[in-house]
Amino acid sequence: MRLDRLPTLRINPSETCTLHYNGKTSAGVAGDTVATALYANGVRVFGRSLKYHRPRGLYSLDGECSNTCMAVDGIPNVRAENTPAKNGMHIDAQNVQGSADFDWMGFMDKLDWLMPAGFYYRTLHKPACLWPFALKQVRKVAGLGKISPDFKMKGRYAEIYPTADVCVIGGGAAGMSAALAAAEGGLRVILLEARPWLGGSFDYRVSPYDGEKALYQRARELAAQVEAAANIRVFKHAANVGLYNNNLVTAFQVGPEGGAFDERYIEIRAASVVVATGCIERPLLFENNERPGVMQVGCAHRLARTYGLLPGRRAVFSIGHDLGLEAAVDLCDLGMEIACVADIREDGQNPDLLLALAEREIPLLRGWVAAKAYGAKQVKKVTLRTLEGSVKRQLECDLLVASAGRTPLTGPLTLAQARLRFDAHTGYFLPADLPAKMHAAGSLTGRNHPLAIEASGRLAGLKAAADCGANTAEAVAAAAARLSQLPGPERGTKLVMAPVKGRKSFICFDEDTTVKNIKQAIDMGFDVPELIKRFTSAGTGPGQGGIPGHNLPLFAARYQALAGATPVPTTARVPLVPTLLATYAGAHHDMCKRTPLDELQKRDGGVFRRIGVWQRARYFSEDFSCREEVLNVRNNVGMLDGSTLGKFRLHGPDALKALQRVYVGNMVKLTPGKIKYSAMCNEDGCVIDDGVVVKIAENDYYFTTSTVRAGETAEWFRYHTRYDGWDYHIVNFTDALGVINVSGPNARKVLQKVADADLSNEAFPFGGYREFVIQGGIPVRAMRLGFVGELSYELHAPASYMVCLWQILAAAGKEFGIRNFGVEAQNVLRMEKCHIILGVESEQRTNLLDLGLGFLWDRHKTETKTVGTVALRQVEADPARLRLVGIEMDDPRRAPRDGSILVDKRIRGYVCTARRSFTLERSVGMALVEAEMAALGTRLEIYEDECNGQKLAARVVPMPFYDPQGNRMRM
Amino acid sequence: MFRRFKPLWGKKPGLKSTYDAVIIGGGLHSLATAYYLAKEQGMSNVAILEKNFIGFGGAGRNTAIVRANQRTQENVPLYKEALDLWPILTKELDYNLMFNNCGNLNLMHSEAAMNAARMNVCTAQFHGVESHLLDPRQIKELEPAINISPDITYPIHGAMFHPPGGVIRHDAVVWGLAKGAAAHGVHIHQQTEATAIHTDGGKITGVETHRGRINSPRVLVSAGGYSAGIINKMMGVKLPISVLTIQAMVTQPLKPVLHHVVSSGMYHAYANQTLKGEIATGAHMDQWPNYTTLTTAHYIKHQAEALSEFLPFLRGVKFMRHWAGLADMTPDMAPIMDGNDPVEGFYMNCGWGYFGFKSCTAAGRHMASFIAKGECPERLKPFGLRRYENHRLMGETAALVTYTPDN
Repeated sequence: MRLDRLPTLRINPSETCTLHYNGKTSAGVAGDTVATALYANGVRVFGRSLKYHRPRGLYSLDGECSNTCMAVDGIPNVRAENTPAKNGMHIDAQNVQGSADFDWMGFMDKLDWLMPAGFYYRTLHKPACLWPFALKQVRKVAGLGKISPDFKMKGRYAEIYPTADVCVIGGGAAGMSAALAAAEGGLRVILLEARPWLGGSFDYRVSPYDGEKALYQRARELAAQVEAAANIRVFKHAANVGLYNNNLVTAFQVGPEGGAFDERYIEIRAASVVVATGCIERPLLFENNERPGVMQVGCAHRLARTYGLLPGRRAVFSIGHDLGLEAAVDLCDLGMEIACVADIREDGQNPDLLLALAEREIPLLRGWVAAKAYGAKQVKKVTLRTLEGSVKRQLECDLLVASAGRTPLTGPLTLAQARLRFDAHTGYFLPADLPAKMHAAGSLTGRNHPLAIEASGRLAGLKAAADCGANTAEAVAAAAARLSQLPGPERGTKLVMAPVKGRKSFICFDEDTTVKNIKQAIDMGFDVPELIKRFTSAGTGPGQGGIPGHNLPLFAARYQALAGATPVPTTARVPLVPTLLATYAGAHHDMCKRTPLDELQKRDGGVFRRIGVWQRARYFSEDFSCREEVLNVRNNVGMLDGSTLGKFRLHGPDALKALQRVYVGNMVKLTPGKIKYSAMCNEDGCVIDDGVVVKIAENDYYFTTSTVRAGETAEWFRYHTRYDGWDYHIVNFTDALGVINVSGPNARKVLQKVADADLSNEAFPFGGYREFVIQGGIPVRAMRLGFVGELSYELHAPASYMVCLWQILAAAGKEFGIRNFGVEAQNVLRMEKCHIILGVESEQRTNLLDLGLGFLWDRHKTETKTVGTVALRQVEADPARLRLVGIEMDDPRRAPRDGSILVDKRIRGYVCTARRSFTLERSVGMALVEAEMAALGTRLEIYEDECNGQKLAARVVPMPFYDPQGNRMRM
Repeated sequence: MFRRFKPLWGKKPGLKSTYDAVIIGGGLHSLATAYYLAKEQGMSNVAILEKNFIGFGGAGRNTAIVRANQRTQENVPLYKEALDLWPILTKELDYNLMFNNCGNLNLMHSEAAMNAARMNVCTAQFHGVESHLLDPRQIKELEPAINISPDITYPIHGAMFHPPGGVIRHDAVVWGLAKGAAAHGVHIHQQTEATAIHTDGGKITGVETHRGRINSPRVLVSAGGYSAGIINKMMGVKLPISVLTIQAMVTQPLKPVLHHVVSSGMYHAYANQTLKGEIATGAHMDQWPNYTTLTTAHYIKHQAEALSEFLPFLRGVKFMRHWAGLADMTPDMAPIMDGNDPVEGFYMNCGWGYFGFKSCTAAGRHMASFIAKGECPERLKPFGLRRYENHRLMGETAALVTYTPDN
């Protein structure tokens, strides 16, 4: 039975939807939330509490507690009370054994005496053998929602990053007024509202706004203005979840049914922010204060006015705020019997509301409060007491509307580093100071009068506009003057809890934390709210502290009043509203880099691996030992895509000085047409990069770095020359140029077919650099290097030519049997030559000398202050370092696995790379070992994983293993 | 059983004018040191000075993972000792530290990473610590929630599996050690800020606090992320430490679904299910030094993206709380434990970065011996400050890191 003609409704009773719950189908209507649809079908117990399996029902309608957290279509912990009902949804109650109504774990409620605050720290560990079993049980009973490990999330998730001059958080009357005021001068304004409609606390109320309009009419009027303003972008159903430095506001928006997204992540950068999030209610603490049938004022009122559902037949109210009186009057008018209204306040009520109560003959008890609710699964009876507890009265009812007062939603402010201070007048934690370019408005500032709410919104909006440079000084002054003439902030109630012991008075519903538990914690020395929170877990549940956020600090201060404690709020954390990972992940872009030859290599059967930011072809067959690829390079000719190599141009009058600073070699000796292999060290002398440098012209150099260092190289140069004021420029060509390595004894024959230059060993010898053109069109920079130990040309060409160049070389090499080789084949080839790869043959602490690369260091260029050379001099004579050595296994058939360690009684080093060499038919590798074991011929014992003490034998041998004279790369 | 609710770490003690040792910082390393000073070294006239409340800093903000599968032989025995101490301490302190010995599964996403992990596995096995390399099929059997499909950004090649590791309730360790230390006579002074350290003739003479002066011949600074600042300000020593904000977060509580600590270097994330049922996850450090302990929008999003790939069921789960703490990083990702040099009676235990929780008890125990005897125990010798001066970094990290004091 819906109240289907109310003008405030947000449902469409003529359109129905069907939900599946508890083996039955339940009919809801369009606009229902899951919880209101179930409520309409008579569901009162929505789930069971975490620890005690107490029945829990609808309490706040804004998801401030886990009471109505349910599983919806396999997704756990969905807040049923503000999740729109959709046709065909499957709903399950959580934390129940049986059903929500009949949960056989319900007996836990009787065992609360066994579970005082932090009981698990003091039990379950004696005797020690008990714990492993207890642990399993603890895990089973803990946790609320259930999810399957192979759960696959459905739906579409998006993300947007809008910017705005002013961002207003909260679409109530204050927020809308702020948005309209800020937008007056044409600024771009964003308005975020968590509910699917604008209106806030005006939306459902029929009380007069002024002589003519009711509040809800005013809300719709403002909403129409906001929606009509071209420069206000409204995000409805978009909950603010985070606020960061410099007004970065994050939110997530629920998409309309059938829209382009199910949820989307919104990240807004705004010049100024207005927070107008309003208030929630402060729960009333009394015995069984969370029994189904106990609900907050707004919840009861909105159920009727927004969803057309009378929440009960006969209600008792225990409230401390005029909104409670207003709801009692309105619900009475809508047909509910109001047995009694107990008001915490002795005086201060709105006289109009008192009159309205009297007209309806609703009894009002001033200075009274609910002390206990009765009824196993739903409220049947209530005890009311006077505040000091001397007189009591019992009333029968099926609904207890309970609320101690209101509490402001200051989360966004504190996330932005506003400090809160307890305000004795309002009883609120209010910001002591606001961060720059941030303003607060509306009822969270303690104002309740509708005109004051709007005026404070307008004032904040104008101030925010001023932050963006708008000239609003006069308007601000006028708005401030108007606000000062309006009533408020109103006095709040002081009552913290009803006069009861508090064994079943819940301060935190989600964690089943009672007032008694808090007392226990304080008695045990956990005396500040943040510690109480950690010890009792109050406020750490899915309700994000909405229920205990205010009561916990108030109660802790009251309990320690003799010690002079003042209320200290707990810390609000992001996300202010629980947010799906799927929503945060949004569209989830993966920004990997692909080389220009990516497609071609895929076509040729490349097996790709992600290496840092790059996708690279590691193998070209399913044989990961790469035998064919390796032998083809050794005996014939192969092609490797080396485009990921870091490539830089360094030019300007001081370019040489910069090179001298970061490279250990002496770059004065560079001559055009020749390449120089060199290394960079960090301040500890540890090698951070190696590569080649070429002098292109006077004050103009070209150099390469390893793939991983490419991103940091420019910064490295700038950092180490930051005090010198040198005039040079560094240009990163890494992505602009590609690289192809043509290697093998037939490399020259292939390249000569297509190059316009003389490539003979005399004209272009090993260590040379030439620029020429391929097939009359492709300019290349060519280097003769020998990383893999064969005749080899490294061709650098513009990325746009790379596909073409590759095809030309492939065609030219066809008659020689040219084929691809991948990164792993290169790894084997260079290992046989003992050419190092940094990070493989080195660790963080490996220096230039440890690697045997001391010859790269020019010790005479001291005036250049080369990075790392001070350290190198200091450690030159240090005998206790790891050195790179060549090793050969006694058993030629089997190389140790990379990463195995070298041991005697302790660990003496480790194997960097080792392979069974197809070329040499020996098992060889490189290892880092302590210097005293680095002498040629030293016997080494290798300890592999899972070797069970069966060590492999090896000895230190000269490097390199393949072509020690280096004839093959010079041919 | 629960009739009395007495203060766990004693009634608030008065500040005495003289202590045998003063410890600045009320976190895990301090509490462990004080506990072992009183219990094993016979020095119970000890004061802990904590500016906020005990466990305010890293002790209460870490994700409580414990393991002993580090890279070097200097570290593994220390962490193994700590791992073996949890059950002993649970008994000794009569406080349930809630050790969930679930094992750690460290995912590897390339052949090279597997080789790097092999060194850790070999080092562990050589020291008698259980650790193995797994292939993707074995991973899936162990932890069905993990996505071993090749269609993700960093497909899983294997993992390092370390069964003895797991998760401890970090707050319980703070409170348990405080309980134990107080029971042995240690004074825990909360809301007490040290403002200066006094020396005379190269010797420690006392500590100034905002509540008055304390005389003491020994001072230990083990104040987590704040240590480097305190030591610089009060002793004029600039340590090679960069202090960075590090972030973590939890999801809403779930029934058991994830049964190991799962971590991935490539995705820069770890995840484990706490005993409360929340999935705790994190790992990101800011790339610039700061003491803000502020979270970032970028990171919670990154974390969601990463977890969506390797633990895709989490897409249907909600984040609930995101927080940050401090990591005091040294250049070699190993701590600094040193003392009596050059100022007699001055000790420091810092630079623990984001891994200070795991071995706090063992480190505190050895520091206690160091402070009581004035001689550096064998196990702590590799962690001396002078290793940086001598360019002998620890080798705890294979890759280059750039957490220098200048970046």
